[in-house]
Amino acid sequence: MSSGLTGQNDKLSTIDSADIVIIGNGIAGQTAAIEARRLAPDKSIVMITEQNHPTINTPALKQFAIGKLTREQLLAFPAGTERAQRIHVVNARVKEIHVQGNYVYLAGGRGFGYRSLLIATGSAPTGLPASLPGRDFDGVLTLHRLNDYLDLRRRLSGVDEAVVIGGGPHAVETVMSLLYWGVDVHWLIRSETFLPRMLDRPASDMVIERIRRAGASVYTETEVMGIVGRVGVVAGVVTNQHQLLPCQLVLVCTGTTPVATLANHCDLPMQHKKGILVDNQLRTSVRNVYAAGDVAALQDPQTGRYAPRAQWYAAVLQGRTVAAAMAGSEQHEEGFGVPWHATRLGELSMLTVGNPLQWLDPATILTDSGRGSYRRISIIDDRLVGYLSLGPTQPDGLAIKRLIDEGLSIRNIKKELLKGEFDARKYFSRQRTYAAQHMVSTGKLPSAVPAQTTSRTRPQVHPLLETGPLASPGTKSVYTQARVEVNTDPALNAPVHRGYTSANTGAKVPEQPTLITGDNWLLAEPARPASIAVDDTQSPRTTDTLQESESIPSESEALFFEGGIAPHQEIGSPADRPRVIESTLVPLLEDAPRSPSGSLWSYSAKLPALKARRGDSQFITSNPMHTVKQILARPRGQQSTGFTVASAGEPERPTRTYPSSSLWSYTDKHAAVKKGS
Amino acid sequence: MFKTGLKRDANTAVMLHKTGPQVAQELHACIGCNECLHACPAVTASVTIDVLNNETLSGPISAPVARFARACYQCGACVAPCPVGLHRDAMMMWLKVRLLRSGWGE
Repeated sequence: MSSGLTGQNDKLSTIDSADIVIIGNGIAGQTAAIEARRLAPDKSIVMITEQNHPTINTPALKQFAIGKLTREQLLAFPAGTERAQRIHVVNARVKEIHVQGNYVYLAGGRGFGYRSLLIATGSAPTGLPASLPGRDFDGVLTLHRLNDYLDLRRRLSGVDEAVVIGGGPHAVETVMSLLYWGVDVHWLIRSETFLPRMLDRPASDMVIERIRRAGASVYTETEVMGIVGRVGVVAGVVTNQHQLLPCQLVLVCTGTTPVATLANHCDLPMQHKKGILVDNQLRTSVRNVYAAGDVAALQDPQTGRYAPRAQWYAAVLQGRTVAAAMAGSEQHEEGFGVPWHATRLGELSMLTVGNPLQWLDPATILTDSGRGSYRRISIIDDRLVGYLSLGPTQPDGLAIKRLIDEGLSIRNIKKELLKGEFDARKYFSRQRTYAAQHMVSTGKLPSAVPAQTTSRTRPQVHPLLETGPLASPGTKSVYTQARVEVNTDPALNAPVHRGYTSANTGAKVPEQPTLITGDNWLLAEPARPASIAVDDTQSPRTTDTLQESESIPSESEALFFEGGIAPHQEIGSPADRPRVIESTLVPLLEDAPRSPSGSLWSYSAKLPALKARRGDSQFITSNPMHTVKQILARPRGQQSTGFTVASAGEPERPTRTYPSSSLWSYTDKHAAVKKGS
Repeated sequence: MFKTGLKRDANTAVMLHKTGPQVAQELHACIGCNECLHACPAVTASVTIDVLNNETLSGPISAPVARFARACYQCGACVAPCPVGLHRDAMMMWLKVRLLRSGWGE
């Protein structure tokens, strides 16, 4: 079979073929397809998948399971994206890869030719050991795919007690979802602590304590020895601590394993070991074959080990990178940096960047706890190498990842990082602002008009529509011209807003001590002395500053849109500005009450919307803290099934709002029945 | 209506929104859990997160998204609920600017 097809390889018209063939339509495969279409508009792109549904937001499946999302809201891309992007979807199973013939062999006896092939088969749940008694009872679910969650959704209404097995974020999210539904949850963790490879002891204790307080019974160092059933249906779980936990549902969240079977079914040896090994361009050890997503094992830049990164953002990034490689583009080659993992564990937000636990020897480790949060940062020579954060709010994790990936000095922001108050917007743009200020202070930008002339008398706020770029055709043309100027500015990465800077700050800038030259502000130390010459040809443009700032009203908007930050915001006080141009820059009144977080809703910084809708607080208040002893000491009858007992002692179910009541409206019915009975 | 886009710090008068690459990065990291939209006091129409993400950075802006972008007043209520620590307000600001340049979608 294969030899015959191999012979036909040169005439690809005899079998179906495509330039880019992608196996799997998870987020990595789908992202790769869309990105490849963008980069290579003329290539034929085919996705071969076994899934019978389009790409979905798999991390949101739990919200779907508890009825907070509808099926339509699960879609990762708008419906019809594949058709619009001319991505052909083939519903089939790939059985073999024939690299020497450049084709894959599909179940059903068809071949499919490719020029470059992407394996994005994702991962499969590890599940319970095959030898575990009772693992096939009805009610033992492994949560991984959409169908699993549909199954869970169907069963939830008849469940009073459930056992969740597993010691990862997936298990915590499942526990919290069940608690949301008012189910009594027993959570079994095999190890002594939660997530032992990512969290240290205090962090783990904090998570477990929170989950306990939310109402779950947590059993550490506990494993399932067997599942007890009654006429084929789950009735309970026997643990290695000689406990019998009655339940109607066993949810297995014991992690995932990459689906690397295709690496075994390849005619050339493909290196794989817990995932297909890939380089920074996601090439496997076989030519023209790539791997991305959960199935790909990437090298960690810090430890050098290869490991899959089974996370959403990693999959998206890999999909984009591999698309560039497959389409022959040279756009993404900067690598993937350190691992980044952010999630919510109940009411706690967890963030790990890098390997916070693996830097014991050379690194300085700082920890901070208090106010219900915990942080641990690892530093080597002013460089951040690992960051772990637990707390009510999520820090800007991607910015912290950038700090690590780019090796930026954190000397000035150590405390903020440790306290979780790191303001990435301020930090990164201040670096740009330094560059811009440097232009201003060392260049020949004149201080044309004293800025403090008419500050108070001037109206601080101008109506937006008068000053926007589309107010009149004349303004618009000037606006585009200004944008060109910004882009072609030779000396700076960060564009300079000349109208503002020169008018406002010619005399004031030296207050800022540290300046960074424009081109290498990313790598420079903040205290580096500045020496950059401003191009003389720019001076004429900047002399008549006030006039220019009047005539180019929306340059700041252009800067914002181009990714730059207008530097004047930090330099002059709002009162000194000659004119406020655009909505993003409108100053607030000085005497307005304002909290440090600066948002309108800061008075309700304790997640008002979440509490109102989830009703988590009800569980916390009405459910006393569960401990193992309490659970065991309870009379057996109370925790066993039976509607009357359960409804009497249980906290009130939270009222839920459904985005659309069409799909799951029967669940309301169930709740009513249950309460009444 | 659009005048509240300014974020202030205690010591400096800084309004800083995210740059284009940062917003793109955050869009890629969005897991689509809809927590930001659930928390949003301004969202009215049935905006789904896939369409919103898809139209934030490029391409045509559909009518529901345009309506949502106009209604957004940058209160920041969407930031705290995000399980992965993204900044929907910055993404919305991006959308607003795009909308502004295209004539508010009218």
